[in-house]
Amino acid sequence: MSHHLSGRRSIADPAADITGLYAFPGPERAGHLVLVLNVFPAAAGAALFSDAISYRFRVRPVTPAVVGAASAFAVGEDEYAFTFTFTAPVPGNGSVSSAQAGRCTAPGGRQVSFRLGDEQPAQLPGLRVFAGTRLGPLYTDVAGVEPVGATGKPPFLQEAVSSPDDMNVLSIVLEIDAAAMFGPGIGPLLAVVGETVTRGWPAVRLERVGRPEIKNVMSLDPVDGDLEIRDLYSAEDPFSLSPDHLGACRSRLNANLAFFDRLDGKTDWPLDDLGTHPLTELLGADFLVLDMSKPFSEHSWFEIETAMLAGRSHATCGGRSLDDDVIDTLYALLVGGVDGPRISNGVDQGARPSVRTFPYLVSPSPDPPDPIAGLAGLSAPAADAAS
Amino acid sequence: MSGLSSQDREPSTTSGTIAMANLQAQIDGLTLRVRGAGSGRAAPRAVAGRAALVDLLLLRGHVLARIADYERAAELAEWLVRNAPDDGTAWLARARTRATFRRFAVALADLETAGRNGVDGATVDAERAPILQSLGCYWHALVLCETAAKRRPGFTALGALAVLQAERGQVATAERLFAEARRCYQGVSPFPLASLDYRRGLMWLGEGRLRAARSWFVAARRRVPAYAPVLGHLAEVDAALGAHGAAIGLLRPLASSSDDPAYAASLARALSAAGHLREARTWSASAAARYDELVQRHPDAFTGRPAAFRRQPGAARTLAAEGSS
Repeated sequence: MSHHLSGRRSIADPAADITGLYAFPGPERAGHLVLVLNVFPAAAGAALFSDAISYRFRVRPVTPAVVGAASAFAVGEDEYAFTFTFTAPVPGNGSVSSAQAGRCTAPGGRQVSFRLGDEQPAQLPGLRVFAGTRLGPLYTDVAGVEPVGATGKPPFLQEAVSSPDDMNVLSIVLEIDAAAMFGPGIGPLLAVVGETVTRGWPAVRLERVGRPEIKNVMSLDPVDGDLEIRDLYSAEDPFSLSPDHLGACRSRLNANLAFFDRLDGKTDWPLDDLGTHPLTELLGADFLVLDMSKPFSEHSWFEIETAMLAGRSHATCGGRSLDDDVIDTLYALLVGGVDGPRISNGVDQGARPSVRTFPYLVSPSPDPPDPIAGLAGLSAPAADAAS
Repeated sequence: MSGLSSQDREPSTTSGTIAMANLQAQIDGLTLRVRGAGSGRAAPRAVAGRAALVDLLLLRGHVLARIADYERAAELAEWLVRNAPDDGTAWLARARTRATFRRFAVALADLETAGRNGVDGATVDAERAPILQSLGCYWHALVLCETAAKRRPGFTALGALAVLQAERGQVATAERLFAEARRCYQGVSPFPLASLDYRRGLMWLGEGRLRAARSWFVAARRRVPAYAPVLGHLAEVDAALGAHGAAIGLLRPLASSSDDPAYAASLARALSAAGHLREARTWSASAAARYDELVQRHPDAFTGRPAAFRRQPGAARTLAAEGSS
């Protein structure tokens, strides 16, 4: 998981809690864009999407505005939104989960209906959809990440422990024919965000996500722990940040990015005279960037941005694939600078990698826990539990 | 001022059916997850996971009136304190479970320890206030609640203050605060809002305004149809209004599904009032036996006040679960 439990508001309803956003050129069909939004960390049993939330992908064209130090993108005005809504299940209509229906509304108002977990994708010309429980795609050394903020020690120095293999999530997978959907003049660079927004009035943005880990790793503040800046951050439109909380978010990023830079005992990202970290503007504009003119690549997350920082042309599609080891890439960049030495979390692939056919995420863990046995085990005497 | 009015915003929330399914899924998923996170003394992920599980079990215990969930939460919290004594989260979790079983003095002691081990003062005070309230220390609770509401006047703080003012009998003030809290709600989870409406119904019930109470219990049931304490009080109101059949219809499934004998006892009373004496005696005997068992296991919670068990601080914490203030 990359982004789970990221703010009190999202934690209150797990169906609003985004665990990851992925965007990549379709490995199965050239010229197609695949977008994946996962919610509900560690979903088990009959987890369902909320009927009070709109789940939304937003896509805009971008161009590099500044290259080299303090790189930044210019975001285009045209926007393409794909909104997913779900119904409350109808009792007595099969299992609870199979009774939930959903609908995707594409730009221009075209709609396609589907049923949760239906392995046969719902389709319109140039668009296909899946929604249901899937195995969470990201692997990471959760035990290795945790001490970073607490101790100030470099990450991943202890024995690596992979995250559990059987953590399911609720997934929305959308594949679109990019040329047909966006027209010929858009791209090739696209910015993508995922959001959960309340369906009532006034609509409230519960959570948004662009690049992985931005909020969880870089926006935490042990000094002012009860100020939940992540909820303030989530409420912002990622393509149009209001000035209300911008200063606080930038301050957090400046401080935390500098903290990560110091972990290897040297400074790769010198702050400017105002104390601004060179990555603050780039990461504060929180969206995935991918190049639809490039073929699918499994390990290309942040390569477009890194190339901009280095003042060279990018070579890959960027974006984020399902099996991309983004944690290693992120820490290598933050700690060691552009083209810095690789920092590994010791876990380089998941137990069950994604597949190259729609809906790309593998089927959910078939062994949901026995809650009674599980709970009994959790509260066993210490000597037993530790063994 | 009584039932839902134009002053009361009606936020859209996740359907109660989905919310209950997802609560179950969260508990199941977290159970698996914390098992995978390791169980050594210094595993922060294990502490956080178990503490979250404690909260989820307390929530389900409150909503479905399942004492078994409270007991399981208490076991987990004891494990936390035993294995992570330097982690304030562990003490906070145990304070919550102890307060649920009305062990207020030791719950307050745990909160003190939680504060000394890193839990921020606002969080500790938010837990302390409903305990002081339950002990009748209204003035002290009021200071804490008003400070929290001034600092961050959102749903959680205003809701807690509304509940406190309602218990103090300050109905007009409480009504205004209930409406304000409702207007602040920005989440989609139905539990905090249902809990708020439930507490508003209890206030009117305490005032003897049965129809006003009923309207808020109905509002809470609309959010979470399975909300056992709401259904139980709705039945109580229906019975008081002479609708014994409706009361029995509400209580019969609760008496079977809940391990809290309050529902069996209520059903027995409703059956008796409706003239079904033989079945009433059966349920009454069943409730008495269960009370005896629970008094042995949880004397603070059940001795001398079985009916009060349904109104313990768990409901106040359900308000806090939203955290979107």
